[in-house]
Amino acid sequence: MQSENGFYGQYGGSYIPEILYSSQQQILHAFEEAKNDPEFLAELNKQWQQFSGRPTPLTFCANLTEHFGGAQIYLKREDLNHSGAHKMNNVIGQGLLVKRMGKKRVIAETGAGQHGIATALVAARLGLECTIYMGAKDIERQYPNVFWMKQLGATVVPVTTGAQTLRDALDEALRDWSSSHEESHYLIGTSCGCAPFPEMVAYFQSVIGNEVREQSVAQFGQFPDRLYACVGGGSNACGLFLPFLDDKEVEMIGVEAGGKGLELGEHSIRLSHNLGQPGIAQGFATMFLQDNAGQLQETHSIAAGLDYVGVSPIIAHLAETGRIKMTYAMDDDVIAACTLLLKKEGIIPALESSHALAGAFKDAPNLPKDSKIVINLSGRGDKDIFNVAKAVEDETFPQFLTDYLASYPTTQNKGDKA
Amino acid sequence: MSQLATFIEEKRQNKPILSMTHVVYGYPSVEESLSWMERLMQEGVDFIEVQFPFSDPVADGPSIVAACHKALEQKLDVETCLSQLGKLAKNFPESRIVLMSYLNPMYRFGLDKLAKRAAEENILGLILPDLPIEQSATYQAACKANGIDPVWLVTPVTPPDRLAMLASQASGFLYCVARSGVTGHSVHEGKAKQTSLDDYLAQIKQHANAPMGVGFGLRERDQIEQLIGKADIAILGSALLDAYNQGGQEAGIKLIKDLFQ
Ligand SMILES: Cc1ncc(COP(=O)(O)O)c(C=O)c1O
Repeated sequence: MQSENGFYGQYGGSYIPEILYSSQQQILHAFEEAKNDPEFLAELNKQWQQFSGRPTPLTFCANLTEHFGGAQIYLKREDLNHSGAHKMNNVIGQGLLVKRMGKKRVIAETGAGQHGIATALVAARLGLECTIYMGAKDIERQYPNVFWMKQLGATVVPVTTGAQTLRDALDEALRDWSSSHEESHYLIGTSCGCAPFPEMVAYFQSVIGNEVREQSVAQFGQFPDRLYACVGGGSNACGLFLPFLDDKEVEMIGVEAGGKGLELGEHSIRLSHNLGQPGIAQGFATMFLQDNAGQLQETHSIAAGLDYVGVSPIIAHLAETGRIKMTYAMDDDVIAACTLLLKKEGIIPALESSHALAGAFKDAPNLPKDSKIVINLSGRGDKDIFNVAKAVEDETFPQFLTDYLASYPTTQNKGDKA
Repeated sequence: MSQLATFIEEKRQNKPILSMTHVVYGYPSVEESLSWMERLMQEGVDFIEVQFPFSDPVADGPSIVAACHKALEQKLDVETCLSQLGKLAKNFPESRIVLMSYLNPMYRFGLDKLAKRAAEENILGLILPDLPIEQSATYQAACKANGIDPVWLVTPVTPPDRLAMLASQASGFLYCVARSGVTGHSVHEGKAKQTSLDDYLAQIKQHANAPMGVGFGLRERDQIEQLIGKADIAILGSALLDAYNQGGQEAGIKLIKDLFQ
């Protein structure tokens, strides 16, 4: 979706410290040029295919469809991207843009770690230096991803200010960028931030919806009746939805993280239920979770990737105009949806994506049998093994961890043995 | 000419350079921050830049970020802050107060109301580092209607035509950021490119009718001396906060004396 000078209705814009003005302009122009350059687009497509494994399939779920007895359920398999999430689509795009701008270093922030891994992978492949900011709390929750980032050669910086989650990592990445903008690119992982990031990230993610258009017609002869995507920052949702914006018959549903409850601090619901308020922070105007004094608030989700205080200005605008419908799923429903997909279809979904599943599963039984719905499976669940084990109260997992730790050659254990 | 620029011009008759000291409102408590401001004014600083804390201060380095987060452990209120500053302004007519914050808390308060209330409390300037001039029509109109100055920032990497535009729009004073990056000592500092301050200030002077304030990274007397004749105000932020954190008000005052006397 094209912005008007970086604005989507009242949302978006570019509210950055003056020091970042020229870098922001440079990105704006580089992106405008690149997306009209057939050579850039050819290279982008090649990397998408050869490095990430696109196109990803559209998978019919016969067992789930039968289980609910309503709509026919399809999954768009972004979990099959290299690195296991849709994040790769955008990172490849921006990585190529960084090369084009002649910069040698990328900075990124990450919540769940999926964007951090994707950035570290692409940085390694393109020969870029890479620094990843991650909230100290998220590092604890998603350590396996941190491990891989480090092995890929990235520097992972724990952020210990504020709530020590994604929002703080984002602030810190912006501060690094302010100091290093001449040689560094801030590779934002979702369709948020100052213009042109929302538009640029949405553009690179639109490959999802563009493929669904072709695949749905080829596989079942029409566009889907409904699309579902989880909404953290909003990039996978933008990617699935935007190519269908003008197809009025296609309904779009974005699912936010209901977390543990509707009290401030327990969830990450910015758009549904009127829980967010318009605000301007972190470079752009959108709906933020904040108090009456305009201070941004803490958020919660069982899925670290949905635990963000703001939301894409594109999604905020489309929700306001009613083109997309917003809903939310609670942590418990998310785990139930995750488990159901595992058992019925043999697919391991990310907890983020399980929000989209939960939203769709609620509606599916009540939809006509000939209707088709597509749920964006934005990522795979391998990274969530610890959280899911805890949530399903698996009895043997703690024992495994204890035994594994005992066998681990830490200095302490070595000392014990000596 | 604006009240702020007039004040600066008059004061500059007797001083080679004016001092602007930065204080985070509410740090470590509201009462202590007010007492610190009062002390600074007693010591004769020319300006106090009061930062109203925001949860996500992206243009600031670690010292100021930590102070803002600490201050926000209390409920802070813009209206109360403004009336408390008004009292100080009345008691110390030889100094002036400039309010700095980020856009969101001020936007929630209301930019019209902010300009009006600030003017009523004798605050002559407002600094909002995340508000670009392009998005500022409402804010500028509100400032103008109330006779107070929006303070714009320029930086060593501001392109020449933009620098000319910003400098020519400046009224109270122009905030010249001395180097790339965030305020204070920071983990990111090593990455920032250093520019020749003299050339940079000379370039700004070509376009600016308003007085010039220089800040970001000032902590030594040499740096202040280097600004004399090239700028009107030296702005002391994180260095003062660091001194204060180490040795309280006394250490802060000692730093100011070392730098300015
Ligand atoms: C698998 C997965 N899905 C979804 C998201 C949410 O991001 P967005 O809303 O930008 O798609 C994340 C973020 O980390 C993620 O890792």
